[in-house]
Amino acid sequence: MALSHAEAAWRGRLDMTFLAAVAGLLVVGSLAVVSAVRPMPHAGHIEIRHFAALAVGIAFFFFGFGFDYHVFEDQAKTIYAATILMLLAVLAVGTISHGHRSWLNFGFLSFQPAELARLFLVLSLAAYLDRRERKIKKFSVVLGALAVSIPVVGLILKQPDFSTALTFLPLIFGMLFCAGVSLAQLSVIMVFAGLTLSVPFIYTVCQVFYPHAQAGSWPHGIVDALIGGKTTVVLLLGGALAVAGLWRWAKWARLRADASLFLACYLVLAGGLLAGIVVNRRLKPYQRDRFAAFVAPKQDLEGAAYHVRQSQIAIGSGGVWGKGLFEGTQSQLGFLPERHTDFIYAVIGEEMGFWGAAGVLLLYFLLVWRLAETARGARDRYGYLVCSGLAVMFGFELVLNVGMCVGLMPVAGIPLPLVSYGGSSLVIALWSLGIAANVHYKRYLLA
Amino acid sequence: MRESSPRPRARLDAVVVLFSVAIGALFLRLFQLQILDRANLTAAAERNRTEMIYQTAPRGFVYDRNGVVLATNRPMFSLIYLPSHKGLADLRPLAQELAAQLRRDPADILASLEEATREDSVVRLAENLPPRVMFRLSELRPIYPGVDLVMEAERYYPLGDFASQLIGYVGRMDPRDWIKLRSEGYRIDSPVGRTGLEKVFESVLRGRDGAIRMEVDAQGRLKRQLDRVPWQPGDSLVLTVNAAIQEVAESELRRSISGRGAAVVLDPRSGAVLALASTPDFNLNELAASAPPSERPANPADLPEFDRAISGTYAPGSTFKIVVGAAGLNEGRFAVNDTVFCPGYFKLGRHLFWCYDHHGHGLMNWWTGFAHSCDVYFYEMGLRTGAALIEKYAESFGLGRPTRIALPGESPGQLFGPRTFAAEHRPWYDGDTVNLSIGQGGLLVTPIQMAVLISAVANGGTLWRPHYIDRIHYADGGPDYVQQPEKMGEVDLKPSTWNDLHEALSLVVSSGTGRAVAIRGLDISGKTGTAQNSSGRDHSWFVAYAARPGQPPSVAVAVLVENGGFGDVSAVPIARDIFKVAFGIGKPPSWAELDLRAKPAAAPPARDSRGGPA
Repeated sequence: MALSHAEAAWRGRLDMTFLAAVAGLLVVGSLAVVSAVRPMPHAGHIEIRHFAALAVGIAFFFFGFGFDYHVFEDQAKTIYAATILMLLAVLAVGTISHGHRSWLNFGFLSFQPAELARLFLVLSLAAYLDRRERKIKKFSVVLGALAVSIPVVGLILKQPDFSTALTFLPLIFGMLFCAGVSLAQLSVIMVFAGLTLSVPFIYTVCQVFYPHAQAGSWPHGIVDALIGGKTTVVLLLGGALAVAGLWRWAKWARLRADASLFLACYLVLAGGLLAGIVVNRRLKPYQRDRFAAFVAPKQDLEGAAYHVRQSQIAIGSGGVWGKGLFEGTQSQLGFLPERHTDFIYAVIGEEMGFWGAAGVLLLYFLLVWRLAETARGARDRYGYLVCSGLAVMFGFELVLNVGMCVGLMPVAGIPLPLVSYGGSSLVIALWSLGIAANVHYKRYLLA
Repeated sequence: MRESSPRPRARLDAVVVLFSVAIGALFLRLFQLQILDRANLTAAAERNRTEMIYQTAPRGFVYDRNGVVLATNRPMFSLIYLPSHKGLADLRPLAQELAAQLRRDPADILASLEEATREDSVVRLAENLPPRVMFRLSELRPIYPGVDLVMEAERYYPLGDFASQLIGYVGRMDPRDWIKLRSEGYRIDSPVGRTGLEKVFESVLRGRDGAIRMEVDAQGRLKRQLDRVPWQPGDSLVLTVNAAIQEVAESELRRSISGRGAAVVLDPRSGAVLALASTPDFNLNELAASAPPSERPANPADLPEFDRAISGTYAPGSTFKIVVGAAGLNEGRFAVNDTVFCPGYFKLGRHLFWCYDHHGHGLMNWWTGFAHSCDVYFYEMGLRTGAALIEKYAESFGLGRPTRIALPGESPGQLFGPRTFAAEHRPWYDGDTVNLSIGQGGLLVTPIQMAVLISAVANGGTLWRPHYIDRIHYADGGPDYVQQPEKMGEVDLKPSTWNDLHEALSLVVSSGTGRAVAIRGLDISGKTGTAQNSSGRDHSWFVAYAARPGQPPSVAVAVLVENGGFGDVSAVPIARDIFKVAFGIGKPPSWAELDLRAKPAAAPPARDSRGGPA
């Protein structure tokens, strides 16, 4: 088959699979949103908002596509400053919805700066890492990247939007990982973060399964250690002695034992535990409920577990072919919570069945795969880092959102990008993909 | 390992592989939910969106033998609450509102609402709402999703306090019973026959409940009707009871000296129950049974639900002389012409047994002794006959065992005699025989047993099992089930014995203690009785049967008035009124103000009144 020259040139410059995946997700998402909002009081209004956001999003896609992505590297500091300012602004004058102050209201439109902050963090972190290419193995680079990221995450936690903040962690780690930082250094950070996050988790497990633990029993001991009681002090001191003893033994055994290595290990473990204690203490009751609902869904069928249960019922009752658009009883009769936003995937599962739900997984797989391929083929390291970050970002959000809907992940209030109703999410997602398309387009061009 | 490449491709590959694994896991989970668990989860989704509103089927009607409606149904509005599936709504404002409208304790209502939410099932908050309350409650419907009004069939007894113990009432079941009955399609709030024939014929009368399957949303709001299963009304019962006779028996008993008593009217040709009355009684529509336990008498025999006709046991007194005479005459232990002098007392060893007439009756033979119920005559004849024989005849007349009429709570009574005593290793003395001869001592009978006994005398020896069902009229139009008479025994006496008994019973009415029952144009025979009673006044008995001249007896009665004194004082006039109504003689007494002839249009065609009083 002969292609014209121009056609061949475009074929090479536009990733058709990528575009098809994006278009497919937008179509499926729009159908699901229209169906999900149908019984709502202001269905028409919501539909108009959705399609307006879709139009704006497509415009932003082309804006991102038509804009040389190197601008972002050049203006990384400006972007970063804008991010911080935006997040400070939302804390100062933002409007409250769903218990957190995360919306900036401009009268005719309101948007969630956290969504934009995530894209901007990808762009500025990529610039930071790109500029430190030569000393990428140094721990200072890892710490520097964290120093860049922590203010952003911290400001979002301050809203407090725990779920959105959670989506930043894999993004940061993924970008560091793809940038080629030392795995040992990365694992130190991940152990630290893992400890921090597992403290509330283990605490919740103990609370759910041993609610009446007696003083002296082991669940009580664990709980005491996790809330910063006497056991914590004992644990920290005992740990210090154990590490010191281990170091002495290693010296005696004439192993290569650097005291600073042992000290670092101890500090990571102790610091992770202490950070976890702090996080655990600051958790909101509803956030703790979500942990509990994930740990023991049978014990609380009214609160958070109710949502998860209803979502699984919706998906499962869809069967192979689904009940048809507008026919899902779970979604149309309001049993599904947040059905046009966070639980849109359950609407797809119920109304479009296994083929629809699996189709979304396939489209997402294609999307992430093509983002990774774009990263791989990017002309320079900045493009590589940006697209890797986007791949991780989209991939993780899919896993978290769909995992929540099918009951494999705890409930986190995050939308499914390109599919859920939500203007900020949709516009920012399309803009990000536009930037990725630009990276793809520019891959053979000389700077 | 050193990674000098500016683009660590292996790491990007690792990210893609990790993501692929996650996608694979999600895919498998989808497969599990949508393919493997589909049936369960589809069922769960159906349960979510559907709510059954059950509608209690109208119970079968109950008619008397002439088509008078004894039990029917009327529409009733109930307030129901369908809990919201979200379960998070605050129920307190609703409870407050409903409590104000229904004048009930908000805490109670809140408890019901929370129970419904917990069990995720419909709860009935109030029944039989007056129209005014109903209209105000219907305004709550849009404000509080889940609150709704449904129309149901409620049991209604047009005659109120009529045959209360026989018909019985319908009520909410005991939660313990529900555990047994739920497999039969009962719901926790299903009405169920609690006593009387409502209980015995529960499965016949009940019918099949209807249901409306509604689609509800997560707030419990009814969206639309999915489908409905129409109810199937219960089958109707046509009783052998004659409402007019029942009514006169009841009203006369109520007006008696004590107001407590029983009357059983049987057709001696078949054992069909024409009336089964017991007072005090209660209005079936007012659910006397639902009075709080604190206000209810401790002794079950004091309850209005207590059916004296089948559960009350009394000494038969002189009515038992029928059995003594039958035994002695039939076995040739004495002859009708044997005479006994009654000085007013009877000496047995050092013991003195009084005749009720302390002045003495003088010289007595069978006719005079029976007609005047002379105790001394029967002390003597009882001793001649022997207690063992009397006990045997008492048993053959059906005493000491339940008649097994189809009603709950029947008492078997208590035989009294040497055999019974031997079984209990107690000695029997002649003094006991003397007591037994006049129906005293430990002998206990129920009014229905006496009615069966006198019927057997009337028909010449057949003990018909009393039955009150004439036929069952099936709602689906199938051929009626017709109850056939059933023998529960036969008393085999010589014809001469029967003649002597019949003539003596007739003499009681024509010239003896039962003169007050005599009605011109009827052949009435009977026997009075006065049962000594350890507490209070004697109970008054009268057993009798009546026939139009030249025809076999067609009505037999046993009347008992507790603490009524001599039988001829209180029990006999009741029997007289019963006979008058049964045979349609004379001016009906004042009770007939009640229009028993008001027949409903739906009354099944009355069969030829089989064996009814002409």
